[in-house]
Amino acid sequence: MIEAPTANPTERIHDVCRRFGPDRENLIPALQEVQESEGFLSPEAVDVIAGYFSLSANNVYGVATFYAQFRYHPPGRHCLKICQGTACHVQGSGVLLDAAERSLGIRSGETTEDGDFGLEELACLGSCALAPAVVLDGVVHARQTPKKLNALLEKARS
Amino acid sequence: MKEITLTIDGQPVSVASGASVLDAAKALGIEVPSICSHPDLPAYGACRMCVVEIESVRGFPTACTTPAADGMVVRTESETLRRLRENTLELMMSGHPNACLVCDYRAVCEKHKPTPSKAGTSTRCGLCGNRSECDLRELVLSSPGRNLGLPTIYSRKKVERDDPFIERDHNLCILCGLCWRICDKIHGQPAISIVRRGKEARIAASFDRSWVDSGCTFCGACVDICPTGTISDRFAKWHGHPENKILSTCMLCPEGCAFHEMTENNRVVATRMTGFKPENRLCALGRFAYPQLLQDRHRLDRPLLRESGELVPVSQEEAMEALAAALDGFRDGSFLLLGNDTELRETKHLYRSLAGDVLHGKALFMAAGSGAEDLPEELADAIESGAIRAVLSAGNFLPTGLREHLDFLAVIDAFPSTLSASADVVLPASILAETTGTFRDAAGDVKGVGPALPAPEQARPEWHWVRDLAQRLGAEDWCRFRYAPEVTRTIGDDPAPAPLRTRPRDSVKDSLPTRFRGHFLADRVPALRAFGLPSTPAEETGADKRGFPIRRKEEIAPNFHSFLVEAPEIARYARPGQFIMLMASETSERVPFTLTDWDPEAGTILFIIEETGRSSRELCALRAGDRIAHVSGPLGAPLDLSGAGTIALAGGCYGIGAIYPFAKALHRAGKRVFVVLEASSHFLMYFEDELREFCEEIFFTTRDGSMGRKGAVHDVLVELLQSGDKRPDAMAAIGCTLMMQMATEATRPWSDVPLHVALNPIMIDGTGMCGACRVSVGGQTNFACVDGPFFNGHEVDWAELASRRGAFVQVEVEAMPQNGTLAAHPCRH
Ligand code: SF4
Ligand code: SF4
Ligand code: SF4
Ligand code: FES
Repeated sequence: MIEAPTANPTERIHDVCRRFGPDRENLIPALQEVQESEGFLSPEAVDVIAGYFSLSANNVYGVATFYAQFRYHPPGRHCLKICQGTACHVQGSGVLLDAAERSLGIRSGETTEDGDFGLEELACLGSCALAPAVVLDGVVHARQTPKKLNALLEKARS
Repeated sequence: MKEITLTIDGQPVSVASGASVLDAAKALGIEVPSICSHPDLPAYGACRMCVVEIESVRGFPTACTTPAADGMVVRTESETLRRLRENTLELMMSGHPNACLVCDYRAVCEKHKPTPSKAGTSTRCGLCGNRSECDLRELVLSSPGRNLGLPTIYSRKKVERDDPFIERDHNLCILCGLCWRICDKIHGQPAISIVRRGKEARIAASFDRSWVDSGCTFCGACVDICPTGTISDRFAKWHGHPENKILSTCMLCPEGCAFHEMTENNRVVATRMTGFKPENRLCALGRFAYPQLLQDRHRLDRPLLRESGELVPVSQEEAMEALAAALDGFRDGSFLLLGNDTELRETKHLYRSLAGDVLHGKALFMAAGSGAEDLPEELADAIESGAIRAVLSAGNFLPTGLREHLDFLAVIDAFPSTLSASADVVLPASILAETTGTFRDAAGDVKGVGPALPAPEQARPEWHWVRDLAQRLGAEDWCRFRYAPEVTRTIGDDPAPAPLRTRPRDSVKDSLPTRFRGHFLADRVPALRAFGLPSTPAEETGADKRGFPIRRKEEIAPNFHSFLVEAPEIARYARPGQFIMLMASETSERVPFTLTDWDPEAGTILFIIEETGRSSRELCALRAGDRIAHVSGPLGAPLDLSGAGTIALAGGCYGIGAIYPFAKALHRAGKRVFVVLEASSHFLMYFEDELREFCEEIFFTTRDGSMGRKGAVHDVLVELLQSGDKRPDAMAAIGCTLMMQMATEATRPWSDVPLHVALNPIMIDGTGMCGACRVSVGGQTNFACVDGPFFNGHEVDWAELASRRGAFVQVEVEAMPQNGTLAAHPCRH
């Protein structure tokens, strides 16, 4: 049974944890659930999870960062994903990522301070014919250049 | 327990059930290479060096994680295993700076410099404090093939230096996990772990927090267990490798933890836990602050006596006479002794007897962490009312406001204070590791302290002072206390010191005692401020406008810092080949650095400092906007190479920057310039683009072959000399003495072409006074600092130079106190 969400994030996270036994093998599923409900893993969330599993926050963070699926920043209002698959890579997606990082002033995996943009890397979008491709708020944009990408961000911002 | 019998390399062996194959091999004395295994930790199976072959088991299991089983037949050596291990090692080393291990000149280099230089960043074994005990290096050197064929990938991760006491250079990490596993074992939960993965993986606290906020207690276990130089002790790494260890007791607080004092040259450079068990753990004070307290620059080191209003140094005799004469007048109950509660029992016992039996006054021992304001009110009242008129304070325990009510004040202490400055007599005390005797901890247990190490100058153990004083006051039988045990025997059931209310070993937050002998610990060891420990507010001195402002400072390659400094006078007169002498602060040593560039218009000079050795460390800790206390120069005779038409300039390490002004001047004068650079590995090259602008051609050599040709500058110099069209008619080589010496030897057949070498690495003083830089050139005695720094290498007596370097520079310079100034310099006598 899923309990009604509470207002206090600490309690909310604790409630999520309590759906699992406090054994170590449940750590990853719990992390996934917390990310699902909170959108990301905050330092506070990691503390609560660590407490529940009798681990240190450092243990939990170490385990979580081993997997690419977890985020540690709140998602932005707009989500920009840049494909780093082989085809895109060959077509210069590294440069795109650089450009995005520079123009947003954040690193991949982070969210801008004003909360407008989150930036992520994708393994392979499967749209290799469109390389290098980016996804902005669920929409695929083909054959990007740093210039086109900046224009795209500009548009989203207004 | 059940016994298991198996066969390893043809030999039968029995072990208890639960033992691993690696344990069984060890029991037979068979050495299987292993990096991530440790006797105090469960198997981890990360390094894959311990692979073995086991009959009827597929593949190559790791011996450390495989439980021994009855009837197992194991082989630890085979051609396949050897290849597997070499591949593993090769892969591990490709991300680890390894130039020294593949360098063709390693043997001669290590003979030339038997101990590694202390450096800011370890970019090769020659700069790694861990060299003498590095498992990795051992494995590579003992591996028969030793072909580290993979290219070196130096990931240039920034060395983390923002935490107190502990530094991390992730470029050296092999992810063996020993550090976080030992932390986990000792503290129940690790303060660190391996975060992220792939090439991003490294040791860190969650969310890359500072370790101060990660739950780390700064016990130092990870520093001690790390098989590479990744995690290091910032203070200890600037000293030599500890040569001795003494089992003793920490007396910084009533816990009285047992520890090992690690010593070098009879000084404590670090302390270590006596084992890797939870009960062995130390707190940040015992592990990191302790050596720094002992080596404090401002220790009281001679007796002082007030004479016509001034405290002046006097002999021990004079001080004791004066003290005894004064105290003789306060035997009417008006004497008070204030002692430190966490002291040797012997010291406390004699203090107690002196105050009671001899002087008929009172004694109070101030609890750990307390200071002057903790003096009980009734005692303060007694002083104000005149009931107490004489005080002997064994620490900074008396509010300065009470001083004026006293007729007499004596202080026995290790550190100066406003209290000692107002005393009538001051005696310097030996403390902690400089004393020997016994210590009663808060739990009541008696523990051994010592043997004692030398104390600064005339400091003596407190009970020695007290004994001699009591004898002068009539207690003649105290002459029987010659050695500590003679005092120990007379101590009955002495009380235990007051316990701490906090647990310093469990956290650095709000739990460390803030004071020692009434002095703020953070005044003596500033790094402790990071834990929130209070310190005396710095005196308002007003912004210091003296010194030479640093305009810009950059680390252009690991360990190589370029400084752009305002020094208009030097910029106006500088010529290629000249050097400057720098002092980071008023109390630093003077060190020479070659000028790289200067701009008379802007009034700035540019020079490059390699962060090796303590003086350069001090300089490199400065930032843009800070000031260098002294910059003098330009010094030395400039070198004019304009008589030649074709010139070869060779530079290595700091010399890459040093040949730059020659290239610039000669190229502009229309000469043909060839530049030859040398570095251990590609990532240590710098200034290529700047130099390329001022030469015909640039050649690169690296010791590991990762850029240009594998070898040294002399390989290229010889080729140039042999070539028809590029044959130089003058050469200059600037770098370490070994590089210059090797260049000299290699080019000897062409000694008609002068090879100018710069001998400034051997100077101390820079004015011809100290004589450290004396060199024989062409049979004549010269001083590198005034006659040089350039000499024709073919005429230099290199053998004499090497022995001078060995004998004079190493011993004299390294033994010089950190605050050694010119006036105190031995060569001035
Ligand atoms: S820091 Fe040292 S002990 Fe820790 S994983 Fe790296 S090499 Fe191993
Ligand atoms: S210093 Fe001690 S507590 Fe801190 S990370 Fe290292 S082992 Fe853990
Ligand atoms: S807790 Fe710290 S200060 Fe106290 S005795 Fe132990 S190591 Fe020393
Ligand atoms: S020692 Fe066995 S895998 Fe490292």
